[in-house]
Amino acid sequence: MKNNIRVERAIKNITQGELAEQVGVSRQTINSMESNKYVPSTILALKIARVFGKPLEQVFMLEDGD
Amino acid sequence: MKPHFLFPYWFRYLGWGLVIAHVPISIIGRFNGMTNPADNPTAGTALFSGQHLFFMGTSLLMAFGLFLVAFAKERIEDEQIWHVRLESLRWAIYVNYLVLIISLIFINDTGHLLYLNLWVPLIFFIIRFRWVIFRINRSARLEG
Repeated sequence: MKNNIRVERAIKNITQGELAEQVGVSRQTINSMESNKYVPSTILALKIARVFGKPLEQVFMLEDGD
Repeated sequence: MKPHFLFPYWFRYLGWGLVIAHVPISIIGRFNGMTNPADNPTAGTALFSGQHLFFMGTSLLMAFGLFLVAFAKERIEDEQIWHVRLESLRWAIYVNYLVLIISLIFINDTGHLLYLNLWVPLIFFIIRFRWVIFRINRSARLEG
């Protein structure tokens, strides 16, 4: 699963730490997601999409192999 | 995510304290003839003999210490940590059973097998868990 977290974060002009605080995880977890090393749970994905004010599919998208 | 059945963060220090405390106590005991009952079956067969109690006490001190270190919460216990914790537990069980099976086949010594089983899964879990967290932190430091 790919994601646009880094882009959306740049649009909203917030740091990894600020996003982490808003969704209740560590900055390391946000970094792992941005590097596609960690696939978040549905709950965390929904929380992140809500922070950006966008539908889930605009922030997270399936890849061919998924 | 609400972490259940984990000890508070500071318990890890208590755990390391117990593990470290067990080392000099065991060494002093060993110099005074307190060995693993499996090493010296004639002296250590009696249940709750001095030797048995000493061995039980030091083993429990170490195992309880490792248990606290392994299952203390992280500073921020989020779902990625939970994921790493479960993965590390799975690997610890694999390694433990691999070691147990190999030992059962090649070593005819059940006394030490129990002792091995006491600390192998916890030690392997702690090493694997800390190593993955170290890598996650390093990656966040370099990329963040």
